[in-house]
Amino acid sequence: MNGAVLDTDSTTLITGATQGIGAAIARRFAQAGAKLAINDRVASPAMDAMVKEVGGVGAPADVADRAQVNRMVSSLVETSGPIGTLICNAAYMTMAPFTDHPIDDWWKVVDTNLTGAFHLVQEVLPSMRALGTGRIVIVSSYWGVIGWPNATAYAASKAGLVALIKTLGRELAPEGIIVNGIAPGVTSTPQLEVDAGAAGVSVSEIEAVYAENIPAGRVAQPDEIAAGVAFLADRRMGAMVGTILQVNGGEVRGRV
Amino acid sequence: MTSPASRRVAIVTGAASGIGASVAASLRSSGYRVAGIDLVESDTDLSCIGDVTDVGAVNDAVARATEELGPIDTVVSVAGYYEMVPFSEITEAQWTRMLRVHLGGLTNVVRATLPGMLERSQGTIVAVSSELAIGGGDTDAHYAAAKGAIIGFVRSLAVEVAPKGIRVNSVAPGPCDTPLLAPDSPWREREYLDTLPARRLASPDEVATAVQFLVDDGSFVVGEVISVNSGAVI
Repeated sequence: MNGAVLDTDSTTLITGATQGIGAAIARRFAQAGAKLAINDRVASPAMDAMVKEVGGVGAPADVADRAQVNRMVSSLVETSGPIGTLICNAAYMTMAPFTDHPIDDWWKVVDTNLTGAFHLVQEVLPSMRALGTGRIVIVSSYWGVIGWPNATAYAASKAGLVALIKTLGRELAPEGIIVNGIAPGVTSTPQLEVDAGAAGVSVSEIEAVYAENIPAGRVAQPDEIAAGVAFLADRRMGAMVGTILQVNGGEVRGRV
Repeated sequence: MTSPASRRVAIVTGAASGIGASVAASLRSSGYRVAGIDLVESDTDLSCIGDVTDVGAVNDAVARATEELGPIDTVVSVAGYYEMVPFSEITEAQWTRMLRVHLGGLTNVVRATLPGMLERSQGTIVAVSSELAIGGGDTDAHYAAAKGAIIGFVRSLAVEVAPKGIRVNSVAPGPCDTPLLAPDSPWREREYLDTLPARRLASPDEVATAVQFLVDDGSFVVGEVISVNSGAVI
């Protein structure tokens, strides 16, 4: 089997790893022998269950809160050693017409998704610099590439990540720290419940609606996104820099 | 290990050297049986000698591969060459040859293999394009035009055949440490390499890893172009 060759020495921190795409990433990385730190906003039975399933340690912190991220990373480094791989996956999404979106909630979306990545990368860089190498994969979204009605906050945050990925790719590659991103298309996760709720339909109905516009004829499964993340974190790959891998069944082609 | 009968079959054009040779080796190590098409002998399970611009030669190679190895699951179109010529000095023959090898080489092997894939509702196609198709380059007009055409073809075919279970994608390497890059190429000079975020050429094995991902692991990746270019174009 020729799967991705992942970091098995230092710690891999995956944010938002207790459900959906994050959980699939954790399972995929665990299979490849990675030492995991499983983050979610707060400690929970779901986090305990994931740690029990994939090994590693729980690492609760709200990524939007700089102090919490700092404490989480410091504690991880102290107990498990340096962090060599970071997967920024944690996300928050709410939808509303632009002028109806409460301003505090609008900023909560941006501060979780975009500022969260800023916090995480800054906090893990000393670890990666000490190691002299690192892999960072940031989960964006195809909505950040093409925009979406009633998702101004989410699309803005994810588009901001695209530019952050490209810029950090340029800035950190000379140090051997490789930054890339992934832009999943519609994926079968609990987040789809938000879209379904906004549209007033069931999750399976919203999946069918989305699938109509996807050449592959269906929505993605979380493990298909996880496969892309694993590829981007592959230790053998150093010549992919600042790229955004689009995993969307062909719905959006060639815009990043 | 899978038994030989269940092993998948791939065709790799340009399999004798550089990226094509790395792709062929990678696919074989992951259990594929590989037929190579190249102007010279390739280290593959079935080495077919022929020019990818020659429709008859490509059809013969695909027929042989199908008969000797089995139905074709995967096509990787790598065959190509590079030359730098100022636009006003590009001859008609240079222009035509560039398009026939890169775009023609891809479409010839796709024409020969797609019907079988459609019949079995499965298959993956990966075309090697270039960073120069995305960013362009001085004295690269005919090469960039040919490689750019590959991207347009890939994205369109991808949409056309995805509903039928076939995935089409591309890898766009930047300057790569292969025989295609002359020893005295300006792309090998330290001054140029220092402009790259990764500060080095890509290796053919990295391109092969990207191809392998698209073929084996990219089950929801359709019409995508993966850049393995050391950050030359971001």
